[in-house]
Amino acid sequence: MAPILKPLLAAFLIAVSSVEPAFAHAADQGFVLLLPTTAYIIGGTLTVAITILLLVCLRPGQLATVLRPIVLNRGRGDSTWHHWGQIAASLCLAGLILIGLRGPTDPQANLMPLVLWTVWWMLLFVVQALVFDVWKWVNPWPGLHRLLAPDHKALFRLPKEVSIWPAVILMAAFQGFVLADAAPNDPGRLARFAFGYWMFTLAGMTLFGRRPWLEQVECFSVLFNLIGTMRIARAGAFGLPGWQVFHGSRFDLSHAALVLVTLAAGSFDGLYETFWWLAQIGVNPLEYPGRTALIWPTTVGLYGSVLLLSCVFGFAVFSGTVLVREKIPFKNAFIHFSITLLPIAIGYHFAHYFVTFLVQIQVVIATLADPFALGWNLFGLGSRRVMVGFLTVPGTVKAIWLTQAGVVVMSHVLAVILSHRTAETFCHTRRDILVLQLGLSILMICYTIFGLWLLASPRGA
Amino acid sequence: MTKTSNISRRKTLLGLGAGAGALAAGGVLPGSLGFAQAQSSAPIKIGFQKHATGIGAAYGRWYDVATNAAAARINEMGGINGRPVEIITEDDATDPGRGAEVLEKFANQHEVDVAFGTLFSHVVIGSAPRAGELKLPYFVVSEGHHVASGMLNRYTLQPGITDVKSQVISMAPFVADNLGKKVTMIYPDFAFGHDHRDFFSEAIEAQGGEVVAKIAIPPTETTFTRYFPNIPRETEVIYHVMVGPAVLTFVKEMGEFFGPSRPEIFGFIDSLEAVDIQSPGLEFLEGTYFWEGMPRYKQANESEAASAYRAAVGVNDSGAAIDDPSNVATYAHMFGCWETLHVIKAGMEAADYQGPADRAKLIEAVEAMSDMPESIEHPQGDKVFNGKTHQAFGKQFISKVGDGRLDVVHTASIEDGLYEDEVDYTTRSF
Repeated sequence: MAPILKPLLAAFLIAVSSVEPAFAHAADQGFVLLLPTTAYIIGGTLTVAITILLLVCLRPGQLATVLRPIVLNRGRGDSTWHHWGQIAASLCLAGLILIGLRGPTDPQANLMPLVLWTVWWMLLFVVQALVFDVWKWVNPWPGLHRLLAPDHKALFRLPKEVSIWPAVILMAAFQGFVLADAAPNDPGRLARFAFGYWMFTLAGMTLFGRRPWLEQVECFSVLFNLIGTMRIARAGAFGLPGWQVFHGSRFDLSHAALVLVTLAAGSFDGLYETFWWLAQIGVNPLEYPGRTALIWPTTVGLYGSVLLLSCVFGFAVFSGTVLVREKIPFKNAFIHFSITLLPIAIGYHFAHYFVTFLVQIQVVIATLADPFALGWNLFGLGSRRVMVGFLTVPGTVKAIWLTQAGVVVMSHVLAVILSHRTAETFCHTRRDILVLQLGLSILMICYTIFGLWLLASPRGA
Repeated sequence: MTKTSNISRRKTLLGLGAGAGALAAGGVLPGSLGFAQAQSSAPIKIGFQKHATGIGAAYGRWYDVATNAAAARINEMGGINGRPVEIITEDDATDPGRGAEVLEKFANQHEVDVAFGTLFSHVVIGSAPRAGELKLPYFVVSEGHHVASGMLNRYTLQPGITDVKSQVISMAPFVADNLGKKVTMIYPDFAFGHDHRDFFSEAIEAQGGEVVAKIAIPPTETTFTRYFPNIPRETEVIYHVMVGPAVLTFVKEMGEFFGPSRPEIFGFIDSLEAVDIQSPGLEFLEGTYFWEGMPRYKQANESEAASAYRAAVGVNDSGAAIDDPSNVATYAHMFGCWETLHVIKAGMEAADYQGPADRAKLIEAVEAMSDMPESIEHPQGDKVFNGKTHQAFGKQFISKVGDGRLDVVHTASIEDGLYEDEVDYTTRSF
């Protein structure tokens, strides 16, 4: 006879306690479906559309003034204090790997997956993009290497022409692990992966030099450096988010690829849980078969999304370059406009993980009380309760949803502003500035609808 | 690394109440005085296949609470055969493929004595064959009919919770006698809904009733208004088993469709397990009926055992976490973990279980069980275990929504839920 599944409310109260990114968000699905999300989507989209129209009214060059930084302290010397932070980070990583291998097998009680996914991938990503250069202080890779080989000389030269393409490939592989792997949350498995990557990085730094490796190959350092260009402050200078893009940053095609991979992966991360996607791959969302059964559809979907976004974006840029009177090299335009997508990638990251983070950070704190499962209660943290009830209170659910939606809309608004400024660097007349962005503006509006629809959609994974 | 200490931390993390705190406060740890008389003080290792992530995570959290509370109590009482119980938790990610891997880890890496705890049927069905190959007793808490249907193996048992076939057919007498004989069923259009449809159709006909319409809703549907006109006018009772994120929308739209005059409505609490019955949009459920595996709201006549269990798992009188009153428990199901662990204890004691070599003896001991009277070990109520089908049978509750809570109006007897055996596992070899 047909087996009876027990989908129950679990599909309703999806995976709040999931620790790893691929299962993020949506305890509150039932209440979200009762919200007037269509009205919110229209409102959010109109906000982006109106921003585009308002920018049309600007005189060419006005945005350049707005995006010019204020320099407060350019002459600050290079401190090496962060080296100690990196050494501490190396020790922490070693400790986490040990806990992952020998600690509790329940991922909700093991600091390896908890810290990696919740603290590092969810929290530090956002801090790096919005607050300060935290990666400089907690990057675990150079710490140990610097200790072991302080005066290290590279054995081989990593060609500059390679740029950050190796990091792009590694980041694409990492996103595949996050989304498609059967058990990215398993403490032991995660610890072995982390250890393997650490050894790979140590070997790479030894062969090709610490700095080239971290700047071109080590995908997390490269990504964190890139998203750091959206911070308001850098080296004593301050400005509106995105100012760094136009002051002293150099980008090539590999940077464009990294942005597209990050945005496509973030978008697909939201998409692949929706009823819509599951219907496309013939999966009943109320009978979700688990990740093992979906490794290939998810992998194909992820890399297909990267390809699709690159093509659609490329076409939008291309249409602008052929419509303007001035001659603009497509490759240049593609590179520089792609960087303006970075705020959206960051905004999606925040929105996607926000709910999971609110729960999981409590689990992290409570688990810190007893990192080795020896019955300790360090700092009294073990007496902290993990509260999840707020995800079943309609008022809170609405506030959380509006926060997520607000961040998505704001990220699109910023992207539109940066896009306009980028167009100004290519064109000199108001007409060309607008025409160059025509396809991109349509894409931006569609992407806003898509992003808000993702938040509002029922999810089954 | 010991997992016994885990019990106290998991309890703390998940907000267990004072009851479990008191149980755990004894601090009974492996090798302590409480277990000194045993031949071996090595712990009995029980692998807990937990839905820590994936779509079952909301259940996994509460199954974890009940499991650790039961283990704490068992250790407080001196363990099993004088040995402490150690719960070894592995995340199956609510994934059948992963579930089978987890069983292998239990057997080969952790060297557990038995595996236990799985809820989602597809994980049970994906894991059970591996349990058979590994010759690892596998005690599931899934409610699925797959155990009693004969599709699994001798190593898989479900002694702590009734199966859905039994639950559904035991509802028919009450529905026919009190709500009406002309029933329209609304169910999601896949195996879960189909089984409700088939089991209930047969059972209501046996009571002289009939299903006048069967409305199957596509699983991806999120709005239901267009289906309600298909409900025949002669309908006296609506039987619904909708699940998924659109359940609240379903209830709201059904309320809007019927307005003040509606037929009687009966559903399975599975639709709203862990959802506050007072949530906005659910007002329409006032006066409707639900099956409950165990009453979420404390009843005036709640037994001492049921109250002790409620305290041990840290749940208040409204079925929510004492420390986080918005966090409603999966109360209709989670007792199964508590009861199953106590069955494992009783089985090991009856078999004088010493180690993995005695696994077959353990299964035979559980198969030999029959009556399980209501007690702190079985707080949900009396049970009868059928050793041939490896399935427990018990009482079922029908509760009515009133004043924003659920109150029991009928208790279906064990006999109401019995059906013909479909398998005799005892004839299969180990």
